[in-house]
Amino acid sequence: MQNIWLYLYFPNLQLDALLQQNPEANIHSQAYVILDEQSNQICQLNHAAYLAGIRLEMGLGTAAMLSGDLQVIAYQPEITKSRLNDIAQSLYLVTSDISFFDKNGLLLRVHNMLNLYGNLSAYWQVVQQQLSLQQVRFHYATGHSPLAARLLAITAWDQVTDNEDTIKKAIHNTALQHTDLTPKAVEKLQRVGVHTIQALLKIPLADIAKRFDMEVATYIGRLTAQITHPVSFFHPKKSFERYIELLYDIENIQVLQAPLEQLLQSLQQFLKARDLLTQTLVFTLRQRDEKSIELTIHSQQGEYLAKSWAVLISLKLENITLSAPVFAIRLIAENTYIRTPDKSDLFAGKQGRLSRLQLISLLQAKLGEEAVSTPALSNDYRPEQAIQHAKPLAKPIQPLQLYPLRPSFLLTPAQRLQEKVSIAYGPERIETGWWDAKPITRDYFIARNQLGRWYWVFKTPEGDWYLHGVFS
Amino acid sequence: MHPTISYLKHKNLLWQAHHTQQSDNGQHTGFKELDNALQGGFPEYGVIDIRSLLGIGELRLLLPSILTRQQQRQTELVTLIAPPMSINSEMLAEFGFALDQVMVVQPALTQQVLWSAEQSLKSGCCHSVILWHASLSVTQVKRLQLAAEKGHCLLFIIRQPRQEHISLPVTLGIRLSPSRVGIKAQITKRKGSWSNTSFNIYMGAYWPELSQAEDTNILTFPSRASRAG
Repeated sequence: MQNIWLYLYFPNLQLDALLQQNPEANIHSQAYVILDEQSNQICQLNHAAYLAGIRLEMGLGTAAMLSGDLQVIAYQPEITKSRLNDIAQSLYLVTSDISFFDKNGLLLRVHNMLNLYGNLSAYWQVVQQQLSLQQVRFHYATGHSPLAARLLAITAWDQVTDNEDTIKKAIHNTALQHTDLTPKAVEKLQRVGVHTIQALLKIPLADIAKRFDMEVATYIGRLTAQITHPVSFFHPKKSFERYIELLYDIENIQVLQAPLEQLLQSLQQFLKARDLLTQTLVFTLRQRDEKSIELTIHSQQGEYLAKSWAVLISLKLENITLSAPVFAIRLIAENTYIRTPDKSDLFAGKQGRLSRLQLISLLQAKLGEEAVSTPALSNDYRPEQAIQHAKPLAKPIQPLQLYPLRPSFLLTPAQRLQEKVSIAYGPERIETGWWDAKPITRDYFIARNQLGRWYWVFKTPEGDWYLHGVFS
Repeated sequence: MHPTISYLKHKNLLWQAHHTQQSDNGQHTGFKELDNALQGGFPEYGVIDIRSLLGIGELRLLLPSILTRQQQRQTELVTLIAPPMSINSEMLAEFGFALDQVMVVQPALTQQVLWSAEQSLKSGCCHSVILWHASLSVTQVKRLQLAAEKGHCLLFIIRQPRQEHISLPVTLGIRLSPSRVGIKAQITKRKGSWSNTSFNIYMGAYWPELSQAEDTNILTFPSRASRAG
């Protein structure tokens, strides 16, 4: 079988991401460019900027002169990277072998997917549909080697075919500037009159190796698939991470809800497609000139629905104040796990709106983690040690021996007995704990005070009386 | 019908004897005297206002009925909100509660107490909520009442006894005072009936040590108490 590779080239990833997150922005009338600050060159631009005469690799000065109200945004490689990752994640649902070939392109191995899809056009249709969900602009091309596909995609050939002649013809017409050869090598070749690939391919490989450097020979070998190109394939991560840059700074918590909502929607898409749930989301609100705020939101029950998360987040947001405007938000869902369907009893009658875990998450989101607990026991005779506060809904570890006549409430720590009481029952001696630092020797009594309150009091060997509990 | 009467009836201010619906008071309280006074027991859901001193047995009075509810509705929780001291899990376990179905909520701020109660009530996953809270307004109680109806939950509000002029729209109001045999109760408010006599509730069946016969102890205990004091 013939090898076919499909290359997808995304020229405007950062700009697309930015405009997608801010759908109300005036994309069509306003010129936006992304500026690479290192080289001071325009590296991405939208259609309005193109119409204004701005081109790639133009300096900022020239661009600003061509369009007065130009919006300039700094190039951030990590946005492009994460966006590319998202696209790969989404494509992984329809095609198996994906490789991050370049900083703004994806390489797909097509020939082994054709068994599934039948022919190339059916395959392309599916891939195209999947890409349309991502709302990005792209160029594409097929080739018989990874480099050939890439070369054609960069030149915006935009054709999917497995016809060898068509591809060959297209490659032959491509100028050398578009190749991966170094500018120095290109100049050297041009000096001897080689301007296109066609001219270059006419020269025998051995001659090229002799006259030019090895790099050129390797490139040609790989382009024509005479040398196999090593490709490492992508394996999807199970965690979700997304960073969005806001188009304008947000100072109001209420306004912040909209971009958060959008992040949650994409989280929902991600999790739903994989049938995963997550319990913890970490939001990082990047503030201008201030420390960023980190929000960790837990749900006791795994969730994927954006609306369930939105409730918890709005509770969490009530407790924070923004000291400076927020300009970017990052969402990380580190741990995900496969969803197991809830098994609720159909015949139990009244069905609650929330599950117990959802209620606990709700309370914890507002009151803090430690405000909600479940009483628990540990195997100890000392009342202070016996009672514990466990995490909500923690299962008791083992059945313990229990002692009758314990008060409903305990004072922690025990207080000196201040009032006159009459003893109703006792004593019960507790003498234990000699093995650690808190030994106790106490005689416990049940006593009743003048008002009719039932107390749990104890007497130490020194004869001091303490109030330790109340039989409420 | 006289216009004044029909006006009052529209305003729900007038109550006619034949309108009493036999409310389903199936929840036995576990105490014979209280069951008799309530003609069955606690309501299935609603708000019960309990005015009591701390430590006279007010929580113990509720435990048998809550335990029954827990056994009937095993997937649901009993929630204790803002208890005045730390709850002794040993006592709960000893009484028969499954501790993993008990939740204690201790909000840091008082305004969060009622919020927590409302959320727990309307969640539908709590069968009973016990709330320790001092002051309540009519609107707050109404909200809690609606939430309790929504979630089919029984809310006990335990408050210090104090004279109040307003009557809160609760399902049941009980005033508790100390008693040697157990606890003395007085039904102050109940939907569809009226009684204002106070009666003693004998708790010796559950806690023999916390119940004294009415007259025998007066002579025996002061001697010990003076030694102790």
